[in-house]
Amino acid sequence: MIRFDHVTKTYKAGTVALRDVSLEIGKGEFVFLVGPSGSGKTTMIRLLLREETPDQGRIWVAGREIGRLSSWRIPYLRRNIGCVFQDFRLLPTKTVYENVAFALEVIGRPRHVIQTQVPPVLELVGLAHKRDNLPHELSGGEQQRVAVARAFVNRPLVLLADEPTGNLDPATSQGIMKLLERINRTGTTVVVATHDAGIVDQMRRRVIELHRGELVRDQARGVYGIAT
Amino acid sequence: MAVSVEYVARETAANLWRNRLMTIAAVLTVAVSLSLVGVSLLLRQGVAQATTQWQHGVDVLVFLDPVPQAPTQPTAQQRTVDEQLRQLPYVERCFYRDQAYDYQEAKRLLDPSAASVLSIGTTPASWRCVLSQPAEASALASQFSRYPGVDGVRYPQQAIRTMETVVHVLDAVFLVLAVILLLSAAVLILNTIRLAIFARRREVSVMKLVGATNWFIRIPFMFEGIVQGLAGAVVAVLVTVGLHVLLDHLAGSNIHSLLYEMRTPAGEVAVTAVLVGLIGVVIGAAGSAIGIRRFLDT
Repeated sequence: MIRFDHVTKTYKAGTVALRDVSLEIGKGEFVFLVGPSGSGKTTMIRLLLREETPDQGRIWVAGREIGRLSSWRIPYLRRNIGCVFQDFRLLPTKTVYENVAFALEVIGRPRHVIQTQVPPVLELVGLAHKRDNLPHELSGGEQQRVAVARAFVNRPLVLLADEPTGNLDPATSQGIMKLLERINRTGTTVVVATHDAGIVDQMRRRVIELHRGELVRDQARGVYGIAT
Repeated sequence: MAVSVEYVARETAANLWRNRLMTIAAVLTVAVSLSLVGVSLLLRQGVAQATTQWQHGVDVLVFLDPVPQAPTQPTAQQRTVDEQLRQLPYVERCFYRDQAYDYQEAKRLLDPSAASVLSIGTTPASWRCVLSQPAEASALASQFSRYPGVDGVRYPQQAIRTMETVVHVLDAVFLVLAVILLLSAAVLILNTIRLAIFARRREVSVMKLVGATNWFIRIPFMFEGIVQGLAGAVVAVLVTVGLHVLLDHLAGSNIHSLLYEMRTPAGEVAVTAVLVGLIGVVIGAAGSAIGIRRFLDT
């Protein structure tokens, strides 16, 4: 589903964000991407979304090499990739329902599709009863659930989460991770970049560790920190 | 690419309302500048109309008695007139216009009611002469108006010549002003687009994230600029057409007035109106396109 082949990415200032990284993530896998700040986790996510292009090496998503994607095709790549961030990125003037529906509306889905697809996803994330609330009326955990619903409503092949629990307390974080696990069980590949040791140790999933842009560990059923 | 009309209409209207002051400024600037363009075009058409017969430096028209068969070449008698004309020292050259040509020209210049009594067989052909000393036109007229085979002699009123110069100056001034104002209109539109993009940057970033196509994101902003350009153009068209109607009314049916000579056919005014509308749309589209390039596509 995802393949990095000797990927190197250097930013303008000369900092090396990724150095010769090769890895493969299969369809339906659940993977943690761990490492301290600045280790290259976010760069990997940005490369997968084609917000950046690699300096060297090649990246495949769903059988397609995305480094050579012409710019007009990038939106179609992103329709296959759901994305969740630490800061939720919800639209403050739209209700829960509208925030989720927006993701379908702007890719041109007709209204009847939106009306049938949004309610079950709100059900899945447990927010059906708050569909008419605005984001500021929700707790942090609830807001992140809306963000997950928005990322998943289009049934992407891959769900990327960049520090999804960075702003949440441990109990709420667990709830979000449970939700991501449920989504993973539907066959969606899930990649979570995090430095939340608690959830990584608890879930015992594949762990890929980066350190200063280099891949230092790739372990099935791993924990957060043994290499350090 | 499926962009729903409803979505574009809603987003465009919301953007315009959010920046209504800027929108009004942009629309007014477009309106003023395009009104100048419209008036200037109207003046040009009026002058072209009034000087239809006096182009190519023609100073005198010698109309010849109409021949029912409407020949396309001068008859023997008509050729004699030409020879006599060219004997005069101040006549540079004369060229022939047959009855069919003069008939078409008369139809353009006269009221439809006056033109309806004409036919090709009853419209005079003409010799059109360029003089080395235009001031001698009246002398030529008095000499030839009773010449055998000559129907009458016409030369332009002094007023038309004066008007031509004045209008050319006005024309240049108006066009320069219009271009400056059009540029400022484009900048104003660009600025409203920038404000709209800034106000919606969160939405835009989410749209890019979930895979909205570039055109889907751009179209509402594009439309915003076009609507502003078009709104200004509509005001300008109203001004231009209003002025045309007013002048036509003032001209009345006084055949000898200058305004009567400048009456422009409605069809040409319509062309002007369409042109003014098009310029408005182009200015709006250009302003928003630059705004989108600079502030949206990063």
